[in-house]
Parts: sequence; C-alpha cells; structure tokens
Amino acid sequence: MSHEAVIVGGNRIPFAKAGGRYAEASNHDMLTAALDGLIARFGLSGQRVGEVAGGAVLKHARDFNLTREAVLSSALSPDTPACDLQQACGTSLEATVYIANKIRLGQIDSGIAAGVDSASDAPIAVSDPLRRILLKASAARSTKDRVAALARIRPSHLAPAAPSVREPRTGLSMGEHQALTTKSWGISREDQDALAAASHGNLAAAWDEGFFDDLVTPYQGVTKDALLRPDTSIEKLAALKAAFGGPDGTMTAGNSTALSDGAATVFLADAQWAKRHHLSALARVVDAEVAAVDHPSGADLLLAPVAAAGRLMARQGLSLDDFDLVEIHEAFASTVLATLAAWESEDYCRGVGLDGPIGTLDRKRLNVTGSSLAVGHPFAATGARIVPTLAKLLHRKGAGSRGLISVCAAGGLGVVAVLEAV
Amino acid sequence: MKRDTEVLSRPPRLAPAFARSLIPRSRGGSPRIPTRSAVIENLTQDRERLAAYDRLTGFTLRDDVPPTWLHVLTFPLHIHLLSDPESSIRLLGAVHVSNRMTLHRPVGADERLTLDVHLDALRPHARGALVDLIGQVRVDGEPVWDGVSTYLAQGVSVEGEPHAVERQLHEPSTPHSLWRLPVGLGRDYRSVSGDPNPIHTSRIAARVFGFPRPIIHGMWTHARALAAIEPRLPPTYTVDVAFTKPILLPATVGLTSTPTATGHAAAVTDRTGTKPHLLMSVVGEPPNK
Repeated sequence: MSHEAVIVGGNRIPFAKAGGRYAEASNHDMLTAALDGLIARFGLSGQRVGEVAGGAVLKHARDFNLTREAVLSSALSPDTPACDLQQACGTSLEATVYIANKIRLGQIDSGIAAGVDSASDAPIAVSDPLRRILLKASAARSTKDRVAALARIRPSHLAPAAPSVREPRTGLSMGEHQALTTKSWGISREDQDALAAASHGNLAAAWDEGFFDDLVTPYQGVTKDALLRPDTSIEKLAALKAAFGGPDGTMTAGNSTALSDGAATVFLADAQWAKRHHLSALARVVDAEVAAVDHPSGADLLLAPVAAAGRLMARQGLSLDDFDLVEIHEAFASTVLATLAAWESEDYCRGVGLDGPIGTLDRKRLNVTGSSLAVGHPFAATGARIVPTLAKLLHRKGAGSRGLISVCAAGGLGVVAVLEAV
Repeated sequence: MKRDTEVLSRPPRLAPAFARSLIPRSRGGSPRIPTRSAVIENLTQDRERLAAYDRLTGFTLRDDVPPTWLHVLTFPLHIHLLSDPESSIRLLGAVHVSNRMTLHRPVGADERLTLDVHLDALRPHARGALVDLIGQVRVDGEPVWDGVSTYLAQGVSVEGEPHAVERQLHEPSTPHSLWRLPVGLGRDYRSVSGDPNPIHTSRIAARVFGFPRPIIHGMWTHARALAAIEPRLPPTYTVDVAFTKPILLPATVGLTSTPTATGHAAAVTDRTGTKPHLLMSVVGEPPNK
C-alpha cells in the first residue's frame, strides 16, 4: 500500500531580533512554545505522534537531545519519540523531508518537523587549548598529574570562544562569502534593496490580511514578527551603509538577514490517516533533493540549491513554468538574486551538471508573503516557517497548484522541495 | 471579618523588613498577629526575573507563570507583616511547615496582579504556635490564585489544646530522578526570590539555627518538584506540600512521582528514597467559570 505525506498545518512563534524580546528564552523554551501552539491547534494534547524531528544550529552541549526534551515539556504524550537533526539553515526543511519520507514508507502515520534557534542564548565555549587541558586534568589519576595539567593554563586560553557563522574551511563569514558571489554575479544594490523592500511589503500585507492567524501563536508578549518594518522603502534602504564587501559593497544590514530568535513547526501526516482523524490537508510533499558545492575551492557558497532544484525538476519532469509559487530563502537579498541569475545561466547550470538553464522566474510568484529578510532567520527554524506558509498559499490556489522551496545553507549545502496542493 | 487594608505602592524591600522581623518582641501578654491585610495593586511582572526563576527551578519559560512564582511575588508581604511591631510572631525561628496553593486559572506573565496577604489562625502547637499567611492574587478583581503558607513559630505559646498536625505518610521507594544541589544554590535562589534569610546562604547563620550547613529554601524544592511534573499538570489545580525535613547544601536528593486518581503525588527524599524532605500532592480543580 502506498502512502502519501501531506502537510496538515504548522505553527511558529513570531520571530524576533537577537537580544530582543526572546533574549531570556532558550531554544528549549521557544521550541516547546511552538510545539504547544501546534498541539493546541490540532488537538494533539496527550497524543502520541509518530516522531518529532527538529534541531538547532547554535546548540548548547546540554541540549544534545533538544527536540526530545522539548517534547517532554510539551503537551504531547511523553511516549512520543523524537530525534535531533541538523543541516545548518536547511535543518527544518530537511526534518520535513525526513518525516515525510517515514510517512511515505509507512513507518509512521504522523510526525512533526521543527527547528529553533536563539542567537541571544548562543553557547559560548571555552577555548580549544583550555578545553584540552581541562579534559586532561579530569582524566588525571593523581592530584600531582592534575595540578601539572592545570598549570599549563595560560591567560590567553581564558578568552571564551563565541559561536561564529564563519565557514570552518575558508574562515569567511557567510556575509563575506555572499559578498564574493554578489560581486562576481554583478548583483546591483538597487535590485537588492528592491527585493528587501518587497519582502517587508509582502510580509506586512500578509499580517494585515490575517494570513498568519492560523500559522503563528504569540510568545512572551510578541504577537507579530518583530523584525518587520512595514514602513521601510527602497529609499530608506538605499541610505544604509555597506555591511559586507568593503566600503564599496552593496550588501547592507537592510538587505541581509538579521540574527534572530524563533521556533517553527510543521505537522505532517499520512493522507489516509489525516482523513480518518478529520484533519484537512493543505498540500502533499512531492519530492526533495539536497545538493552541495565545493566552496573551499571557490564555488559560490550559497548557490548549492541551484543544482538541487535542477536535478529535482528533471527527476519530476517539471519546468519552472509548472510552479505557481516559489519560495527562495532570503539569506541575503543578493542570494536570491544570484540564484535567479544562476537559474537563467546556461554556463552555471551546465557547470553543476544540469542539462541546461532552469529558466526565468516570473517574480510575481516569488516569496509572496515575504521571507527571511522581513521575517527574520532563526537558522534552523526557517524551513519549518516556509513549509506551512507555502502549503497554505498553494491550498488557497486550489488542488494541483505546485510550489518550490529553495533553502541555502552553510557548508555549501542546498535543500529544495516540491509541494503540491491537495 | 472585614479587615483593614494597607496598600503598598510597591513590594517592600526585603532586607530591612527582614532585619526588623528578627528583633525580639516582648514576651508579655498573649501573642498577637497583625489583623490588617497588606496589598499591592497592579503589579507588573518582571519577565527577566521570571526567566531566571524558571531556569533555576526547572520550569520551561512559558507565557503562563508557575503558581510557585506567584507565591514568590507575595512573599515580601509575608515578611512585611511578620516584621510588624504588632506581631509577636518573630520570623527568627519560624519554620515553614506546609504550603497550599490553588491555581484557579492559568495566569499570564503579562497580567497585572493585585496581591493580598494577611495572617490568620494563630493556634497552639506542641512546639509553639502555628500561623497561616494567607495570600490571594487577583486580576481585575477575579481571584486567580490562593495560597496558604503555614509557619510554626517556636517558643510562642497560645492558649488551648495543641492541634494534632496530620503527618503525611511516605512509602519508601527508589527515586527515579536524582538532583544534585550545589552549595551555592541558596545564593542563586535568593537572587530570584529575594528571600534574604542567611540560613540559606551562610554556614555561620545556619549553625546559629542548629544546622551544620546552609539549607535550601523550601519553596525552591517545592518549585523544582512541581517543575518536574509540569507538563503532566492539569490546567487548574491545588498543590499541597509538607516540608518534612530541611535539605542541607550541597546535597543529592531524589524524586519519586506517581499519577493518582485525582492528580499527582510526589516526594523529594534522600537519595535512597527512605527519608522525605518534601511531600507534595496535586489535585485537579475545576477552572474559574
């Protein structure tokens, strides 16, 4: 018997700027809040769900079982299993794929994919030399050995190691990587600012329309995405100074995502199971693909989703025109613009092994309710923000409407997925 | 009885009130307690302090607050009344023996609260006198939380036959959780609760009261035990605890908890599960209409 994985709905807490209203909340707190909102929305209190898969990018060592611990704090049955899964900014889209695949294999009837990140409550580690000395001291068998080990601590070892978004192999931050891409693809400042302004405008309109009423629950007194600036404009964005790419750079704080806090969840189920439980489905998960690029050798760090999208569309026999809506995660405005340019580029597409260009996207179909520039981007939560949003948008367009999700991630990774309204 | 009400504009500072409450009272005449109630109106809750309280006691930071947090908010009024010259009950030597609180409906962290505390039911006990500190939290006039903290004032004598205090029985059972309480826990809890009693932080002060080491606040243990079963709690409930034996810091203690027909029962014990430090029972209540 074949199984179909459908998206029943989702829930997230509003996203907030790092150091803002969620500054005191941990990943555990936020993930529990997002789960409890989902549980309340779909009457899952006390129920055993097949599995909850989720994760965080910035994670404390004590949170090795973050998702399971959040399940235990939530209103779900404590018999609900969970696993932590992490793929940088692709985390909760990958978690969605994982849950959908288990449903399609008949291993579970229902599941929740989730992601959370707090840039406010980020772990600060001791320096690597200090860590090694402490480990040696704790393994020492005698006091003398312990003292000898500890005596090797130097003042320079005591500087804490804050988490960074630097690529381990290149030493460049994500913004610095994207600045290289922005330059080599010739992405203009005007286009970036226009995309950022559109993101804010679209998100503001969606909030005004009440679109998020059944996708978001308030937390800590925050009722709406706190980074949203409904009154921003291309003119205001044009006044900002460059943040990446040197003084002549085109990437600013306005057209780059801010460090954010937040959590998001997606409720997936077997189509038949959902029907039996009187849950209406929004969209089915058609297929997904992950790709990677060799950024240590100079490839554009955040363009890995291009190859993933091309391979996925080829496998499904779909062209860009078959998609009613497209969601491209706005790590930076220039990431989206470089992705669109790469889709049109015969050379780039052939270079990553595709048969030809993916095509030109009608921008009216792109990120129609805003994306990460306006909503914020708690790394691991972004996929689980996009999936229910797109599923709901497609459902409103009618059965058979198709949507594409493209999420870039650190490590030169890219995750894409196709949803189809039911 | 209609009580006089003293409305305080903000929570009294605890250290001076606490110091006053230590001053011995004259022993002459029959023991007295203040008859008025102390009230704070429209208190805004401090979310940052709430988050620190949750972290220390094991609660998840939610939009609804733990009922033990509401007790913490009323606590300055307890000290205020006990430090009153009218009171012949001295905080010095008073032992928190039991506590009961009822959550009538979930209380949000953004709600403004009216806190109302008075003393009542001074009654004889074999080792002194028992007195109840009765607290209520209201939102827009609606009672949302009621609390009764019962203290034993040692060395105070009240006329009459000592009331037999019902001793809760503890069935020894191997703990399914062990908590390691660090020596500085009393200091950490002082910073979130405001309770300045040095018996929880100072070895010298603890010795004065006959304990070899500082003891953790009973209300920390209460909160930690409630946090352990938080996700299984009904939305509205009454929780009763008996503080049977202080926990000397540092300590490793055990928790056992079991669902009951009406709610939950839990015990914080020594690590073997035989000697209870705290016995707790939770019974579901119908919510406010």
